Amino acid sequence: MDNTSQESQLQSENSSTYESTYPLYAMAISSSSTSSNLQRIAVGSFIEEYTNRVDILSFNAETLTLRPNPSLSFDHPYPPTKLMFHPSTPSSLLRHSAVDLLATSGDYLRLWEVRESSVEALSLFNNSKTSEFCAPLTSFDWNDIDPKRIGTSSIDTTCTIWDIEKGVVETQLIAHDKEVYDIAWGEARVFSSVSADGSVRIFDLRDKEHSTIIYESPQPDTPLLRLAWNKQDLRYMATILMDSNKVVILDIRSPTMPVAELERHRGSVSAIAWAPQSSRHICSAGDDAQALIWELPTVAGPNGIDPMSVYSAGCEINQLQWSATQPDWIAIAFANKMQLLRV
Amino acid sequence: MLPENFKEQLALAVRSIQWSYAIFWSTSSTQPGVLSWGEGYYNGDIKTRKTSQGVELNPDQIGLQRSEQLRELFKSLKAAEASPQTKKPSAALSPEDLTDTEWYYLVCMSFVFNTGQGLPGKALAKAEPIWLCDAPSSDCRVFSRCLLAKSASIQTVVCFPFINGVIELGTTDHVSEDLSLIQQIRTSYLDILDFGVHNIYGATLSEDVACASFNVKQAPEVGGALINTTSPNNSSNAFQANQTPDETFMAERINNGTSQIQTWQVMDDELSNGVHNSSDCVSQTLQSPEKIASLPKGDNLTDNSAKDLEKGSNSKMTLVDPRSDDWHYQMVLSTLLKSSDQLFMGMHFQNFHQESSFVSWKNAGPVSSQRPRTDGGTSQTLLKKILFEVPRMHLDGILECQEENEYKEGVRTEAEENGMNHVLSERRRRAKLNERFLTLRSMVPSITKDDKVSILDDAIEYLRKLEKRIKELEVHKDLTDREARTKRSPQDMVERTSDNYFNKTDNGKKSMSKKRKSRDMDEKSPETNSESLLKGSCTNNDVDVNINENNEVEVEMKCPSKAGMFLKIMEGVSSLGLNLHSVQSREVDGNLYVTLKSKLAGSTIVSVKRIKQTLQNVASKC
Repeated sequence: MDNTSQESQLQSENSSTYESTYPLYAMAISSSSTSSNLQRIAVGSFIEEYTNRVDILSFNAETLTLRPNPSLSFDHPYPPTKLMFHPSTPSSLLRHSAVDLLATSGDYLRLWEVRESSVEALSLFNNSKTSEFCAPLTSFDWNDIDPKRIGTSSIDTTCTIWDIEKGVVETQLIAHDKEVYDIAWGEARVFSSVSADGSVRIFDLRDKEHSTIIYESPQPDTPLLRLAWNKQDLRYMATILMDSNKVVILDIRSPTMPVAELERHRGSVSAIAWAPQSSRHICSAGDDAQALIWELPTVAGPNGIDPMSVYSAGCEINQLQWSATQPDWIAIAFANKMQLLRV
Repeated sequence: MLPENFKEQLALAVRSIQWSYAIFWSTSSTQPGVLSWGEGYYNGDIKTRKTSQGVELNPDQIGLQRSEQLRELFKSLKAAEASPQTKKPSAALSPEDLTDTEWYYLVCMSFVFNTGQGLPGKALAKAEPIWLCDAPSSDCRVFSRCLLAKSASIQTVVCFPFINGVIELGTTDHVSEDLSLIQQIRTSYLDILDFGVHNIYGATLSEDVACASFNVKQAPEVGGALINTTSPNNSSNAFQANQTPDETFMAERINNGTSQIQTWQVMDDELSNGVHNSSDCVSQTLQSPEKIASLPKGDNLTDNSAKDLEKGSNSKMTLVDPRSDDWHYQMVLSTLLKSSDQLFMGMHFQNFHQESSFVSWKNAGPVSSQRPRTDGGTSQTLLKKILFEVPRMHLDGILECQEENEYKEGVRTEAEENGMNHVLSERRRRAKLNERFLTLRSMVPSITKDDKVSILDDAIEYLRKLEKRIKELEVHKDLTDREARTKRSPQDMVERTSDNYFNKTDNGKKSMSKKRKSRDMDEKSPETNSESLLKGSCTNNDVDVNINENNEVEVEMKCPSKAGMFLKIMEGVSSLGLNLHSVQSREVDGNLYVTLKSKLAGSTIVSVKRIKQTLQNVASKC
């Protein structure tokens, strides 16, 4: 194992930890595994300077080892705001199975081809025709039903839908009154977004004139920071508010009234992820250094909903991923560490 | 089996009292004693109206169309459930288009009631109306849909037995019990049907089927206009042919009803390009013969089954379990929009004590009692940085880049348009920028922190100080100019001094700013001042003067650092008529060290001794 750098890894029976030399934020788990049954995990650095790094790790679920691939690390301008692997391995785009597509967001949406021993920048998506620059991106989501679509959210109040195969903008919508902080696909043509204006809105690409407001934060203009759409049951989505310990669960059929508010975190919540293979489970993590797994009850009791299980990390958890390819594992990021936890 | 115009009569009834919906729960012919959806009319709020353009519909038609669309949506969702791989069939409406009340109405379609179960079941069992005023807060054993009703804000629900089923009416308003209302509805709209069914339907059975099959053939082939004229006539003919004279009035009503149905169907055909919808109506009409087949003994059958049900109801009533209703509610919700998926996770969670990194929440009980932290300032730190500050970093980068581009006179190569090259050029630019910052940092004294903002802040602060100093010196220069006119001193000395002045330390600067004050003091009490200072200062003053063959004078002196000392020294030097080349001063341990380099100007001849004396004098006087 080429552990020449200060990067090290710790392991136990039910978790595996990777320690980087810099703070980590963005994180993604590949939806395909390489020949040797290794899972690729991408982590993005958070350094408040121009040069940031994206590292690709290999996770072996049998030996519980997390190994960095120094040859697959690459520079990224400023910290990537989100990383995501192609939701399903597209045979048309890729030459062989060891190749992955990774998307990153920041100043632009970028596509990278992660090969066996190298990473190559495939394309950069700039939707500004007039200038070299487009407004910085806060997040994006890859459409898993129609993987040629990627939707990005920007601080310029818009969402942009890219056709990444043609490399053209399919549409750009002024989605909100303020900065858009997150975007999530529901169906092939339906997406939702959250914003500093405090609303969750649903858009249908077939009817771009209208959007439906699903939820508005109780105190006007409390920004909504993250959004997760339940891929197993599209009626439900979850969002988190700024400086709030709540996870708000929404039912798209009953707008404005959340169906549940999960309030057992003892600090603000920073990340949420629905279970990839169950419609009723969601994981949340936050400043209280805890990751909580919740089972949404059929009917909420008067005292609110308790989570079913809890994991305590060393410090504030900033990131959380629950991958469909590794449903038994939840990945969290805190400080310089990335940790895989067995569910 | 329902009369042809039943839907219309139901519509009229519910519209006449302006309630939200009417449902006819009909007893199933296959499962005696089970009430299921028979017919319904929706009269409540509508969120998104999806009509085709240009077709004007009257309110009747809109209402009927809406009810039909809701029914279609329900069927399409059911179909999607049966075969999940086929994506939802196209329905005119999608679940997102529904209001809460419509959703309630839609979900009602999935309910079935045993006799005695739920509101319709009880009404059937008791054979009398039930009036429920506060539906949402009612016991779910009485009204199983109370949760649904709550979400739809349905307030009042009324059920009463009718023909071989139960009619249910509901509204979002609170309406107190008024059985005369039910009576009124029955007499004016519904009893006609009750009466008509037995007489007319049995007789027109075969014709009806014929008429239905006629529609089957015609609808897809013939244009809408043709159906509009032919089919209603045809069906009404069929009915008329079988009418007894004393039922003319009835027949007319039914004729109206059927023609309404026909025209409405045609409308619908037009709306959705004919084929889809007409085939749908075909299948509906085709189903009816089967139902009708069971009718001949209709009266007896219903009576019998009603009795059976009444017997059964007593035992069944007690079995109604609220949890099962919840379960039903959940099942309906989960089946309607997506095939229900019970949790797969059971496996993992059952044995998570052995393997999982997570521990059961109950074990973590004690901690859970702690209050949530509310230190908003430091929460979600990294998330906020990602969302709020990282975009700002990019924006700043863009601005700088644009400035740089403008500086480059807008010359931008093709390569730079390419994004990857942009990254490289950005990196180069960044490196240059960092380099310049380092330079700036080295130039500014008293840098407190290493980050760029602090460097800029300190540089700004430093520049301000310098500007202030220049002003002070200019003021001072004016003063010395005036003095110089009397003393004939070289003019440029002060300016030169100012060039080098700021090699001095902070203490030196302070002494500068206190200059005037100390001077005033000097003028007020020169003797006391000089006397007191003379005592200690004589030994401390140390002046070393060298003059070489090129008439270059080098002076090194040391004296106690005092306010205004440096200035006095300068004044002293200028009074000697020396042209200063450079002045260096530093302060160590309260002593001022000054090194002067100068050249004797022209004819001026000054001895080493004189210089020494003058400077010692100056130093001791301060």
